[in-house]
Amino acid sequence: MRSLPDEVVQVEHVSKDFILHHNRVDSLKGKVVGLFKDRWRTRHEHFHALSDVSFTVRRGEAIGLMGRNGSGKSTLLQVIAGILKPTSGRVITRGRVAPLIELGVGFHPELTGEENVYLNASLYGFRNKDVRTRFDDIVEFSELAHFIDTPVKNYSSGMYMRLAFAIAVHLEPDVLLADEILAVGDAAFQEKCHDRIASLRRNGMSIVLVSHNEQQVRDFCNSFVRLDGGRVVETGTFRTKTAHAG
Amino acid sequence: MAKTLEHIPLSAPSAGGLRSLLAYSDMLRNFVRKDIQVRYQGAALGFLWSLINPLVMIGLYVFVFSDVFKSTLPNYPLYLMAGLLHWNLFSQITGQSCDTLLANAGLVKKIYFPRLLVPISSVVFNVVLWLLAIALLFILYPFLGGKLHPVLAAYPVVLLFFLAFTFGVTLILSVLNVLFRDLKHLVDVILLFLFWVTPIVYQYHRIPPHLRELFALSPLVDYVLIFRGILYSGQLPDWHILAMAVAWTVASLALGLFIFNRYADSLVERL
Repeated sequence: MRSLPDEVVQVEHVSKDFILHHNRVDSLKGKVVGLFKDRWRTRHEHFHALSDVSFTVRRGEAIGLMGRNGSGKSTLLQVIAGILKPTSGRVITRGRVAPLIELGVGFHPELTGEENVYLNASLYGFRNKDVRTRFDDIVEFSELAHFIDTPVKNYSSGMYMRLAFAIAVHLEPDVLLADEILAVGDAAFQEKCHDRIASLRRNGMSIVLVSHNEQQVRDFCNSFVRLDGGRVVETGTFRTKTAHAG
Repeated sequence: MAKTLEHIPLSAPSAGGLRSLLAYSDMLRNFVRKDIQVRYQGAALGFLWSLINPLVMIGLYVFVFSDVFKSTLPNYPLYLMAGLLHWNLFSQITGQSCDTLLANAGLVKKIYFPRLLVPISSVVFNVVLWLLAIALLFILYPFLGGKLHPVLAAYPVVLLFFLAFTFGVTLILSVLNVLFRDLKHLVDVILLFLFWVTPIVYQYHRIPPHLRELFALSPLVDYVLIFRGILYSGQLPDWHILAMAVAWTVASLALGLFIFNRYADSLVERL
């Protein structure tokens, strides 16, 4: 096991403004006409998606980001993942951070399951040789051995999700950033997903889980940050139930 | 856990530079392989299609200029191919460059990876398709009247400079097209214009003398003259043509990298 500092994610005074483009004009013609005609001009409005958010995730900790729709929790996840740059403040991450914001990102329907495994894992910065050593585990976990050499356009949505999830949980990240998704498939497969995540956590993986489902956060996380209107309104820990956390 | 993995700061927002690009070299490979596979999926002739288009073009121009306009230029097919194949490389890469970021918006918005890989993979994809055509030129070279000159040794270096120039243009266009979505239509028109103001199918000295200086300002005129000098005449053009080509390359690459690094991260919000 590598020696990482205890704080794997540090979010320090992060603010994120979006510019809302009302009546957005992206064409050259529109820009030129906009110089003369009000109706063609884009109006800009600054929208504060996140304001001065700070928290720390320690090694092996699972933290739930809670809040209603539009409270900024998914934006925060994208900032932690490095996809969006904060307007001010900073995020420090240590170790391998795997964003599980959407399953099967980068899957190409015409490629086979096997080709998509390599393609998808390489988007997360994995070398093909590292994927090769895990390939059999990924296929076994996904229960798709019989279909792995057929194009994923022929997969059912359940098969698709199973493969995507199997890849994500075999990347062995130090921090898993998940947007609502921690299990896919039928009840039996979901159980397997939970077991896999629990075993990764025993090995020191941290989780940042975005959810508006209080029960889901209670099931998986030992602490939580509640956002409202882009601000942290409540933080706390769960004492009681950590059954899945192992 | 993590038995053999080297440590890669997967999502470190500051991760950039050559080292992190190298760590993603397999992504580039998988990406290009995917694009080629998908492009020729189910096509019986597969990869060979990338040859058919330039071959038809060359055949038509040879017919029009040798048989209809009665060009007296010796070895006209070689003359034409030396210019046309490199023009094709440029126009295919830049024609596609406007769409690269938009076409990969789904990826760029969900996963962090060095954004430079998007334009790089588009360039590599087009170069791989083009290799077949240029290989054919070198195979046919002696039969088309080409001679073995020492200047041929300069070809790989000039090609690298040409690709660097094209890559710079790609970076600029891929960013600008996100801000001005109709840029790609403008690029199509400009490419058509550039094709005819570049002496590819006709000779440089057929350009009226008072316009030649103006034409020579175009990087494509410079590069076509250099490529044809190497592959057709067996001598490099004047030093000021070479100097112009180098200057254009440096300018395009510097501006492209600057613009891309400056705007690539904030573009995510506009995709």
